[in-house]
Amino acid sequence: MDLSITLGRLKLGNPILVASGTFGYAREMEGLVDFAKLGGIVPKTVTQAPRAGNPPPRTVETAAGMLNAIGLDNDGLDHFLKHYLPYLRTLPTAVIGNIAGKTEAEFLAMAEKVGRSTGLAALELNLSCPNVSGGVDFAIDPAVTKRVVAGVRAVCSLPILAKLTPNVTDIVPIAQAAADGGADAVSLVNTFVGMAIDWKRRKPILGNVTGGLSGPAIKPLALRAVWRVARNVKIPIIGIGGISNIDDVMEFLIAGASAVQVGTANFFNPTLSGTLADQLPAALLQLGATRVADIVGTLAG
Amino acid sequence: MSNLDLSSGKSATLQRTAQVVEHVRMARDTYRIRLEQPDLARVIRPGQFVMLRLPGRLDPLLGRPFALYDTFLDAQGEPAGIDVVYLVVGKMTGILKDVAVSQSLVVWGPLGHPFPDPAGDQDVALVAGGIGQTPFLAHIRELLGTRGYGGQPVRRRTRRVRLYYGVRDAELAAGVKDFESAGAEVHLASNDGSIGHRGFVTELLESHPAPQHLFGCGPEPMLHALAKVAERMRVPCHVSLETPMACGVGICFSCVTRVKTDDGWDYRRVCVDGPIFESRKLCWE
Ligand SMILES: Cc1cc2nc3c(=O)[nH]c(=O)nc-3n(C[C@H](O)[C@H](O)[C@H](O)COP(=O)(O)OP(=O)(O)OC[C@H]3O[C@@H](n4cnc5c(N)ncnc54)[C@H](O)[C@@H]3O)c2cc1C
Ligand SMILES: Cc1cc2nc3c(=O)[nH]c(=O)nc-3n(C[C@H](O)[C@H](O)[C@H](O)COP(=O)(O)O)c2cc1C
Ligand code: FES
Repeated sequence: MDLSITLGRLKLGNPILVASGTFGYAREMEGLVDFAKLGGIVPKTVTQAPRAGNPPPRTVETAAGMLNAIGLDNDGLDHFLKHYLPYLRTLPTAVIGNIAGKTEAEFLAMAEKVGRSTGLAALELNLSCPNVSGGVDFAIDPAVTKRVVAGVRAVCSLPILAKLTPNVTDIVPIAQAAADGGADAVSLVNTFVGMAIDWKRRKPILGNVTGGLSGPAIKPLALRAVWRVARNVKIPIIGIGGISNIDDVMEFLIAGASAVQVGTANFFNPTLSGTLADQLPAALLQLGATRVADIVGTLAG
Repeated sequence: MSNLDLSSGKSATLQRTAQVVEHVRMARDTYRIRLEQPDLARVIRPGQFVMLRLPGRLDPLLGRPFALYDTFLDAQGEPAGIDVVYLVVGKMTGILKDVAVSQSLVVWGPLGHPFPDPAGDQDVALVAGGIGQTPFLAHIRELLGTRGYGGQPVRRRTRRVRLYYGVRDAELAAGVKDFESAGAEVHLASNDGSIGHRGFVTELLESHPAPQHLFGCGPEPMLHALAKVAERMRVPCHVSLETPMACGVGICFSCVTRVKTDDGWDYRRVCVDGPIFESRKLCWE
């Protein structure tokens, strides 16, 4: 059984990754997950300057999902490189950095710096965080998406993954723009903007009013996004959205994803990601496949 | 933002399916659930908590944090599992109360830091508001050296332990006998005077001679009042926060509270940096 996969210039041991912002800086998960089993780890998004993040409450549970407005709480790029990367680079799996810039220039400056440090297998661009007040959602505009991706490629030699927002009328042209800009793969999707209300107090529940919806509730929406991009754009896809068991993994692969990231499920089933890697070979065998690539994008009809 | 303190020698977190072996009502809307889980029972310490999740359901989706009430022992005296005491307040606890003996829950832990050693203070007062009493039974036993936890040597850490326990009314007072038989001097207060002192538990505390060390757990307004009492009494005070959590293990950054730093304040994750904090380090609203 060959579980390895290829995403442009990035080769991974298997297609089970964990999503940014849902796995901390990995160290928190020591003891719960055998990192060697994972295809890769994407630590929490890093910004240029430290950010305190949004006031609590930052998350609220909803039916089969949750809303979050963490607000990119992080200690900044220099702190990441100095305090988290040394540990991350010792892990027996691929570590994919994830950055968010406030401006195009900031994206490029960060990518250049990250590209000069060793220990990362690739760089994921968070073009889509909905919670940064005053920030720009880059991936709602194809031209901007293409410029940022191309700019990053010019200054950073790591494989580039463009993480896109589903909060657009049509995600296909944005994914095409990322491909045109030279992205090695697109990560689909980030959270869907939503809100929760306490009607008795006539108040929003989240401190930030709105937040990003994630978890099992969004899986059908994410599957459709993956399927549409797979049919229309020539670029490898990492499927993300509500993955909670091995059936979900297989559905994303069939829809056209070459790999997946487990997000919210890490919160309510912290050992899941390792278990999925264990379960994948048997699931592939059920379809008579011996390689992951055999089933990617093989939806019938 | 955060500073990972993972050099504290805490034991690794376990995730297990655990069978319910006992489930009893203790007071109005208050239950004790006993989970068989020796691996967890051997390593968990007073002040630490676990996440509990109802298996096979997507609503409620997330686990919920619950303090260790106490471990229970097998016939050989070895830790066999844990007791959790909970108050029915919402979605998950509303379903939990109907879980039957022999059904299972998913549990992960031990989480957070245990109560710190009172470092030689011989007169310790624990102050509980409502369901905030739950971390204190095991704490009393650890302080008085009547039970060991997490493989720590069993030794008496303090001479005297008082528990100040405030409830809204008498029907909500849970586990008073447990605390007394563990060796604490129990002082009760209730809002309506139906049991113990009528009024706030912090008032009752302040009407007594100051202890050498305070520990508190309960609703935030009560903890804030306690922090002020500790200041007036000039005694160290540790509080355990009940901040809502989504993961309990430090990966979601939901559970933050403002903690004073050299240059102002910073958000810290209650699940990994707490749940116990020195009260003077918190930014009370
Ligand atoms: C470290 C720690 C230890 C804890 N230990 C214990 C313990 O030992 N025992 C114990 O009983 N509890 C404990 N708690 C608290 C416990 O975790 C919560 O009571 C539990 O999560 C409630 O879950 P639920 O699904 O029943 O309530 P939820 O449905 O999640 O509701 C939680 C609270 O929010 C309110 N609420 C619900 N929905 C809304 C809404 N839409 N708008 C506004 N408010 C709403 C509810 O009234 C309730 O008060 C602890 C918490 C922490 C952080
Ligand atoms: C609490 C929380 C924090 C997140 N933080 C980030 C982040 O920092 N960067 C990022 O690219 N995505 C972030 N995400 C989005 C996830 O990586 C993922 O794209 C999304 O949650 C959908 O997948 P899921 O349904 O499996 O969670 C976050 C999601 C959650 C729930
Ligand atoms: S509850 Fe997730 S970080 Fe604390």
